[in-house]
Amino acid sequence: MKEKSDLMPSQLAEHDKSTSSTGMSRSACLNYHFKVGWREPTAIIGALMVVLFAYLVIVPIVTLMHDAVEVQFGDARRAKSEVGAWTFYYLNRTLASPISQILFWEPLAHTLSVATGVILISLSIGVPLAWLLSRSDMYGRRWFATALIVPYMLPSWTFALAWRTLFRNRTVGGQQGWLENLGFTPPDWLAYGQVPITIILALHYAPFVILLFGNALRSFDSQLEESARILGAKSGTVAFQIIFPLLLPSLLSATILIFAKCIGEFGVNYLLGLPVDYNVLATSLYRSISSRQSGVAAVLAGAIMLIGIISLLVDARLVRESRRFVTVGGKGAMSRNSPLGFYRLLATVFAALVFLISVGIPLLVLVLSTVMKVPADFSVENFTLDYWIGRNLETVALRTGILLTPDLWMAAWNTLRIVGFASLCSGLLGLLVGYVVVRSRVRWISSFLRHVTFFPYLVPGIAFAVAYLSLFAVQRGPIPALYGTGLILILALTADQMPYSSRAGISAMMQLGKDPEEAAQMTGAGWLRRMTSIVIPIQKGALVTGTLLPFISGIKGLSLFVVLAVPTTDVLTTYSLRLIDNNYTQAANAVVLIIAAMAYFGTLAVQNVTKTNLADGLGG
Amino acid sequence: MPNITLSHVSKSYDSLAPAISDLDLVVRDGEFMCLLGPSGCGKSTTLRVIAGLENLSTGEIMIGGRVLDSRDQGIFVPPEQRGAGLVFQSYALWPHLTVERNVSFGLRLRKVPAEEREERVGFVMETLGIEQFRDRYPSQLSGGQQQRVALARMLVIEPDVLLLDEPLSNLDAKLRLKMRAELKRIHGEFGTTIVFVTHDQWEAMTLSTRIAVMNEGSLQQVGSPDEIYNSPANLFVAEFVGNPPINMVPVTAGHDMELSLTLGEYMVRSFPGVDNVGSLGLRPESIRLSVSKPSGNSRCLTSHATVAGILPTGGNWIVELDKGGSPLFVSTNVSPEFNVGEMVYFQVDHSRIHLFDLDGIRVSYEND
Repeated sequence: MKEKSDLMPSQLAEHDKSTSSTGMSRSACLNYHFKVGWREPTAIIGALMVVLFAYLVIVPIVTLMHDAVEVQFGDARRAKSEVGAWTFYYLNRTLASPISQILFWEPLAHTLSVATGVILISLSIGVPLAWLLSRSDMYGRRWFATALIVPYMLPSWTFALAWRTLFRNRTVGGQQGWLENLGFTPPDWLAYGQVPITIILALHYAPFVILLFGNALRSFDSQLEESARILGAKSGTVAFQIIFPLLLPSLLSATILIFAKCIGEFGVNYLLGLPVDYNVLATSLYRSISSRQSGVAAVLAGAIMLIGIISLLVDARLVRESRRFVTVGGKGAMSRNSPLGFYRLLATVFAALVFLISVGIPLLVLVLSTVMKVPADFSVENFTLDYWIGRNLETVALRTGILLTPDLWMAAWNTLRIVGFASLCSGLLGLLVGYVVVRSRVRWISSFLRHVTFFPYLVPGIAFAVAYLSLFAVQRGPIPALYGTGLILILALTADQMPYSSRAGISAMMQLGKDPEEAAQMTGAGWLRRMTSIVIPIQKGALVTGTLLPFISGIKGLSLFVVLAVPTTDVLTTYSLRLIDNNYTQAANAVVLIIAAMAYFGTLAVQNVTKTNLADGLGG
Repeated sequence: MPNITLSHVSKSYDSLAPAISDLDLVVRDGEFMCLLGPSGCGKSTTLRVIAGLENLSTGEIMIGGRVLDSRDQGIFVPPEQRGAGLVFQSYALWPHLTVERNVSFGLRLRKVPAEEREERVGFVMETLGIEQFRDRYPSQLSGGQQQRVALARMLVIEPDVLLLDEPLSNLDAKLRLKMRAELKRIHGEFGTTIVFVTHDQWEAMTLSTRIAVMNEGSLQQVGSPDEIYNSPANLFVAEFVGNPPINMVPVTAGHDMELSLTLGEYMVRSFPGVDNVGSLGLRPESIRLSVSKPSGNSRCLTSHATVAGILPTGGNWIVELDKGGSPLFVSTNVSPEFNVGEMVYFQVDHSRIHLFDLDGIRVSYEND
């Protein structure tokens, strides 16, 4: 409560004196606190939200930490202690035992080397592209500006599937890869493992660099550059002493965001790492859950979480640093475009090539793979629509085309139901958080809410999912075991999406400010009236955005579902993963194409409706 | 309508210096009271505690005999029950409602019958000249029009007191002048008690019946515009009010610049029996300039200085004098008949000289 701290020490003394002199003033004081602080539902809503988010965010993580140091069911003999007792067994097993090499250290090394490779490649593609898009006279800049960020709108493992379709060799069973069918057997290092994972993730995250670095370039005030030139600086000096230092924070920020995303990346690693036993932290974590080693899983999830938190804290620091620069800027936005001259065509070809490799070819391959019987056979009779709409196919299972399979529609319905409901919840909660944060008179409530709703952002989805698993796998107090229900997915997804929706809500409420509501208060409107007549109608747009954006990211999300979903709560992503595991390549590719289309058109729709740019929702 | 009484009012936010401290102020019925001060002096906070949008840390607020906010008595009346109207600096019009809806909101809330509502809304909108915009949305209005809508929205509920938080600061100069006249007319027409916050001294001077000057959370002086201008209670008020600002010349020992010495000597001669004076204040507009030595009576301060600069301000001139290295600013509406670098005589009436003691408090003498 802030009331006491409101007073300066001297006033406090005076205040106490006056209260003791008036006898009944202790109760008067309490009465006053109540009237000021808790008079309106804002405070009560705030208190309820504190409880809700403590339960949805903090409790699962604490439970997870607890699981890491407590003997789990079935491990009593191995841990040489009773179930429920404190133990270092799991920490020891994961970090220091003979098996730790396989469980933790090797996956960690893989994770870090993949992340490093991804960062290097995406920077070397993204930086030139960002510059070409924002500061040059390359052909088709407008078109490329949208086209080149398409990879980010699609699920990353779309491209992993395309890669598998092209490069798959005999190491795994099922349908052959295109190259193999054309007579060239790709070696394992090209078909699976580090190389393809790195390339695919780099192409997927290059848009991060294009967006963040491009934004920095665009908002870069060219007057800064020009003043240096007027003072007689050569272009090399200008580049290294003026431009580079000012743009460095945005580059570092992109780097760290990519790093943090790589740590939690599951889908691509699962699809391309598994066949050659190339494990990263996320897949090692998935394995230990699948093999019911919940203690080890807790340690691994904790490690992933820790890396995620540290890297994002570093990023927050950098962003603050770069704000310091931004305020210097002034009106900026007077960027000049450099004529490329001879290289104009070359630059355009480069951009087109990146587009082809990162979007064009993968999508084309996926689409073709769903309409061809034998891979890479381009004769007319090889084409068929059977995999989409066929009936009575001569297969053992899945005897109809994917669009005629009830499972697909159930998964689609589940996606809509679970992701839709969770998005609606997080959109509403986000707005409420925004309201409480801006309006609460009890200050710790607003700062707690602001931080707790942002926290899931620091925790990679798969680690978060494991935390939910450990909390809701068994009955705890009045709350029954939720594993296997749609509810656990809704809760986890809602919490996971809160960083985005609460930020949207807070910024919308900040932008609105207190004034319109206070004006209503001055004309005599009570709380309910102000909410229904003023606040909610004005914030309609923010509510739509706060719901739609999580919805789109939820549709293509995989890591959360892969841990928490069971066949009855299959969503499109886990359904496609199951199809892959069963080697229904065409069907899986078709489902992934459906997801990609939903995510892509959904993003476009949101951008159109809200007149915003995807870039605004990133980083920051 | 009742008086508004603030007694020993303080408001502080966490761990910061108090926004207002120990403020005693009575706003009388029907008054147009301006809270004047630099930004951050606590004037807006004062308005907000009267409105009830902030609660007090200590002290008491009453309207008439009714206590609105008192920690000691455990009383806090929420803003919507105080019968005050507040016009925000940002206007805070509701963007999703039409002008008519904005204005009628308070009456609809009070379930005023449609017929009466129409009549009252119509009357206020007509008085403020916004009836032709009734079906527009706020975003389709100019700043001045929005301002009137914000005003109409509060006037229509006939508040006991109308609080205005820098309502003219977002308007351009011409419109501001017009709205100033409008406000004065509205005050006359509706007879509402108005508390008006501004950092613009001209606004305060032209509009108010009384001005309360604030600085760093505490009240400096309350008085009519004349009193504030002619008998500033302390250095702060003297320096804050007046444009160009008053010339303040230290006359204590240790200040041995020529100007200080001249004025010190004059003070000893012309204000016998007044001691403990720290500085003399000369308003630029009370200084007369002449090329030849003026006659004047012996009680006037008369001296000479070099012209260091002449700044025409369109009809008026600001003349910067240099007296042995110290600047002295003079404001005159007579076209200067001298050039930079020449010597001129300056003269100030005895009665127009302000004395302040070492603590910056006004020293009064028999002329006052």
